[in-house]
Amino acid sequence: MEKAMKKNLLQAYKQAPWRTQLQWIGIFLLVLVGVAVVAGVYLMISGRAAATGRRIQSLEAEISALEMEISDLKTQYAEVSSAKSLSERADALNMTMLDPLEAMYIEVPGYVPPSQPVLAPPPAVEEISTPVLLPEFTASLWDWLRLKVFIEPSLPAESTESVTTESVTPAPIEVVP
Amino acid sequence: MKTTNWNRFFIICVLCSVVAGAAGIQLIRIQNIEGAKQILANSEAYQGINRVIYPERGSIYDSEGRLLAGNEVIYEVGLDLQAIEQPETVASVASSVLGLDYARVLGYTQMTPGNGNPYFVVLDGFVSKDKIAQLESIKEDYANRSTKRGEVRPNLLGLVWTANHKRSYPEGTLASNILGFYSFLDRTDGIGYFGVEEAYDDLLAGEPKEVYSAIDPNLLTSLEEVPPGVTVQLTFNREIQAMTETKLDEAMEWSGAENGSIVVYDPETGEIIAMATTPRLDPNEYWNYSELFPNPKPYNSAISSTYEPGSVFKVITMAAGLDSGVVTPETTFNDTGSISVSGATIYNWNMGGWGEVDMTGCMQHSLNVCLAWLGMQLGPDRFYSYLKSFGFDRNTGIDLGGESHWPLKLPGDGLWYEVDLATNSFGQGISVTPIQMVTAIGAIANEGKMMAPHVVKAMVIDGKQYNIDPVVVGTPISAETAHTLTTMLVNSLENEASSALVEGYSLAGKTGTGEIATPLGYTNTSTNTSFVGWGPAEDPKFLVYIWLEKPEISIWGSEVAAPVFSDLVSDLVVLMTIPPDNVRLAEKPGNNSLVILE
Repeated sequence: MEKAMKKNLLQAYKQAPWRTQLQWIGIFLLVLVGVAVVAGVYLMISGRAAATGRRIQSLEAEISALEMEISDLKTQYAEVSSAKSLSERADALNMTMLDPLEAMYIEVPGYVPPSQPVLAPPPAVEEISTPVLLPEFTASLWDWLRLKVFIEPSLPAESTESVTTESVTPAPIEVVP
Repeated sequence: MKTTNWNRFFIICVLCSVVAGAAGIQLIRIQNIEGAKQILANSEAYQGINRVIYPERGSIYDSEGRLLAGNEVIYEVGLDLQAIEQPETVASVASSVLGLDYARVLGYTQMTPGNGNPYFVVLDGFVSKDKIAQLESIKEDYANRSTKRGEVRPNLLGLVWTANHKRSYPEGTLASNILGFYSFLDRTDGIGYFGVEEAYDDLLAGEPKEVYSAIDPNLLTSLEEVPPGVTVQLTFNREIQAMTETKLDEAMEWSGAENGSIVVYDPETGEIIAMATTPRLDPNEYWNYSELFPNPKPYNSAISSTYEPGSVFKVITMAAGLDSGVVTPETTFNDTGSISVSGATIYNWNMGGWGEVDMTGCMQHSLNVCLAWLGMQLGPDRFYSYLKSFGFDRNTGIDLGGESHWPLKLPGDGLWYEVDLATNSFGQGISVTPIQMVTAIGAIANEGKMMAPHVVKAMVIDGKQYNIDPVVVGTPISAETAHTLTTMLVNSLENEASSALVEGYSLAGKTGTGEIATPLGYTNTSTNTSFVGWGPAEDPKFLVYIWLEKPEISIWGSEVAAPVFSDLVSDLVVLMTIPPDNVRLAEKPGNNSLVILE
């Protein structure tokens, strides 16, 4: 009697076989979709990182090329404005050296003669440097998730702001010959 | 039936798991077999490369920030033998544009890379931008050329060019004796020779750095910062340097002198305002060096050539006499026209006697006998002690490569004789460089303080400018002595109505005529003519030293070097914006506000 009761209860609450299969299939598909989503996200981020990496490589090459061009243009400018070149142009315009006794000197109140040209700022100016490549471009997906999920939320507000502080490196003062 | 479905599903799951597990095991296995490790090791070579980055050589500017030595872009053209598709086309274009031998280039293009042959051949390491523009134009033309069916479009695949820096001196020969040159043809081991390029070679060159460059974008690292070499700003002014060189060249032509040097110096700071010498090399074509400077001709005679200066040295002897209290400007000397020292007789330049003269008169008439007497009065200990204080026993330490000096003969050396004391007193039997004279006499123009001569005003290191402060290297005489001697030399120039005078400006100065020692003794048919002068006398802003070697027009410094000084200073005061005495002294309180109007 008791045995029969137990069997009846099992039969009453037991899932239908097709339902159990569906559950298993569902779980399997869910895992499959989960893996696919993670793989897809990883692929997307990796793809974007690679594309950005390529762009950075080309920008680095462009920086080098531009720096070379700047040097070259400075040299070209110096050539066309050389002492010899200016002297020839002055001669062509019939300009002559001033006789010191013919020079007229006037007093200009408050006038301060130009001081020595400055090629760069003095050493007292401090630099705050930040890495050229932000962690977003170098961290792996897991590093990025760890940063965003665990580290950044636990940081005080000021610390997170400092991550985005822009470089305040003083721009060198260029000489204008 | 239900059990059958379940079994089927179970079997499929097991099969899938087995396949997946097998795939996983296989993945792990193939990553650990020997071949996989080899592939992995090989792949690392393609992830990035280690390369040495040579920083851009530091630039050199004049005191006004005008570029004197910089870097221009030059290209290395070569053949990537693996990439060549059309050897004849590549050889034809490369030989016509670069001016190379067609057969030689064709030979390279037809080589099979590997097996002892190179993969890359450099055709020309220094190709100008114009030629690269031609190559690019041809390449573009080929790319845009329409072809008929079956016709092969020409291409320059395998012909590659890379930009590099090349040292460039935009002013050509200007100040080349100060700048020196850099052997840029040797791209990896080039070094600076002479001048600033040699003295500051390490700083200008910067630190080459071996960096890892990732090719795999996923392994990208920050661009390695390789700071450029130190940028140097010099003390001299380009315009004054150009003017000084022009004056020297004119003086050489006019006088027929073999060589010459002119140094313009700021006695207050020790800065070199200009330094002209002959000959001058174009550092852009430094390979002409040995032709222009056959051994032992020095590259910069102002710092490397020693000579017996003659009477300009009397300034030093008189400074010693005044400072030690042996004489005063009013001390008189009865000049009989000769003096005998240790059996040797010393005469004046005109072989005559001038009677009773004071010390100003001795300087004005440049009396050898008087100065020999003064030297004897000083005695060897004091005299040579002063010479050492003035730095004649050593290099001045100017920051230019190639400085030298002649050892000072001293009592007890074995080579020194008593007569040397007398002859040294008027600048014979002693050899000096122009820069030694400039530094020593600069003390007289700077209240007794001798400044370290230097050509570098400031350096830019890692984007920061560091200015070089003037350095006092000694105080050989007192300020009072310096003032007294300057006044004596102003008066002697004016009394003499010297051709060195410049109207409107008070100048102190002294001529010099040095006889030249030959294997047969001294000759007075060819001399070293010199002049040293400074001004404005009450507050010197410049000191000019002129040396013309073996002039043909005259043997006398007063007739050769003195007029050159006057001519040069006439332009120098304009370029340095120094008004005449009447304007400057009248406007002394507001000196800063004076500007040249026309």
